[in-house]
Amino acid sequence: MTPDASALLVLLGLPFMQRALLAGLLTGGLGGLLGSVAVLRQMAFFSDALGHASLLGLTLAVALGLNPTLVLLPFAVVFALVVNAVVRRSRLPVDALLNIIYSASLAIAVLALSRLPRQGPGLEALLFGDILGVTWLDLGLIAGLLLVAVVLLARHRRSQILLCLDEPLARSRGVDAERQQLLFVVLLALAVALAIKAVGVLLISAFIVMPACGARLVSRGFSGYVLLSSAIGAGGAVIGLLASGLFNLPSGPALVVVQLLGFVLALLASATDRPGAAASASSPDRVG
Amino acid sequence: MPARLVAIAKSHKQRHGSQHLAIFAAVAWPPSLVGMGETILEVSHLSVRQGGLLAVEDVSFALAPETDTALVGPNGAGKSSLVQAVLGLIPRQGGSVRLLGHALGPHGQLPPPVRDQIAYLPQLFAPRGRFPLTVAEFVALGGAPAAGRRQAVQRSLELCACQGLERRLLSELSAGQLKRVLLAFCVVRPRRLLVLDEAQAGLDAQAAEQFHNLLFDLRRSQGWTILQVSHDLDMVRRSCDRVLCLNRRLRCAGSPDHALSPGQLAQLYGHHYAPYRHQHEPAAQP
Repeated sequence: MTPDASALLVLLGLPFMQRALLAGLLTGGLGGLLGSVAVLRQMAFFSDALGHASLLGLTLAVALGLNPTLVLLPFAVVFALVVNAVVRRSRLPVDALLNIIYSASLAIAVLALSRLPRQGPGLEALLFGDILGVTWLDLGLIAGLLLVAVVLLARHRRSQILLCLDEPLARSRGVDAERQQLLFVVLLALAVALAIKAVGVLLISAFIVMPACGARLVSRGFSGYVLLSSAIGAGGAVIGLLASGLFNLPSGPALVVVQLLGFVLALLASATDRPGAAASASSPDRVG
Repeated sequence: MPARLVAIAKSHKQRHGSQHLAIFAAVAWPPSLVGMGETILEVSHLSVRQGGLLAVEDVSFALAPETDTALVGPNGAGKSSLVQAVLGLIPRQGGSVRLLGHALGPHGQLPPPVRDQIAYLPQLFAPRGRFPLTVAEFVALGGAPAAGRRQAVQRSLELCACQGLERRLLSELSAGQLKRVLLAFCVVRPRRLLVLDEAQAGLDAQAAEQFHNLLFDLRRSQGWTILQVSHDLDMVRRSCDRVLCLNRRLRCAGSPDHALSPGQLAQLYGHHYAPYRHQHEPAAQP
């Protein structure tokens, strides 16, 4: 089927599609924003573990017959705080520990789901997302979290950058590393919990990591990096959603594939990048 | 008395009207005596536990203004643990630390105005991958005042011979450039104490010499007091006022001539230790 302009207009006129597009824009921007810090702090795998573990929270919601989003939010925060504490105290390598946690969470959740009577969204929707089913409540929560994330990251920008660079250096400048880590982990957990509906459990990590990696390859300044990461996230989500509607594709994977295209473009652009060549570096007056 | 100490004392006299304190601080021991005057750093009976082991035990010393003190000792002697505990970056097992007259809190707390006067150069500082932060952005993070931030950053970069690097990413710098940029990060606002943990690690001989000369000049022009961990005993001998020899406990302290004498070094590093002197320098006297 070849889509035309009239099909696109019809699509844009549908209320559920309008909600989905708005959700994609906000969720993509949120994922790109938090992903920009997560990637620099080498927490990409942490978001992966959070995403996989979220299936446990969804299973709990299905078992209790409650709104999945309202169960998932506190579940993700508690889970993230516990994992963060375990990771900081463990003598095992972080990636190995996170691998154990996310594999175990996924296995337990699938086993539990298999014992529950079929109701609510199917396993496929949980694994790969169903952004078309987004509600006004979901939209309000995503918009609220995006606002909070922007304000908090702007306020703690210096601390977060220094922590990304070197923790002892950051601490020597008076940065409370534990407090900043908790702040970011909670924001990331809430973002993952809300974005699960858009892209599902299996693809959530890519949704957070891919825009930031693309932006990192071509940015020559921190402000530009964060903005570009958010733009790739939001733009990729909207374009992916439109493509999924026009070509009748699953929405979650379509979003991630468009973000992948953004990453590939950045990869190609970075091949021509030379140190000191760009004149787009941020002014130091905008830092700190 | 070494000519450098006299120069420091003169500089101190110009600033503070007293020549005695700086001369005294460079040679004074034990710290209780130094405590009679102004001290930048006062460490008393400090012990630090790392990984279940006592890395530093019952160490006391003090630094007076505008002195350069080296902390030397073999690998695993507790040098990095000591400086990190002194700055409150890791917890201490016992003892007390006073920085610029303020007691370091049990969790490393210091009033922000005091913390702002202290700078630390970590042992390993190498941004991972392509880190999207320019040199100018990084230097501004050192605490450049909001008003005139651009000028403060530019001035710091010029002072540290980093002109032309403003728009480069940190991850694009050589090891030598990165160390100079770290110094610019420190210079961007006035400091009184600079703590360096093996700042010359990873530098080739030429870059290490450039860094050392830059540090020496900055110390004189900025009036810094320096505490530096170093394995470069030749550099310590040439430019430091005082040496602390650490191997879990403080083994000796004093002038470089005293603390780096063959006997003291053999005691610190073991009897198999044989100092190597560069060919362009006079050979060590037995």
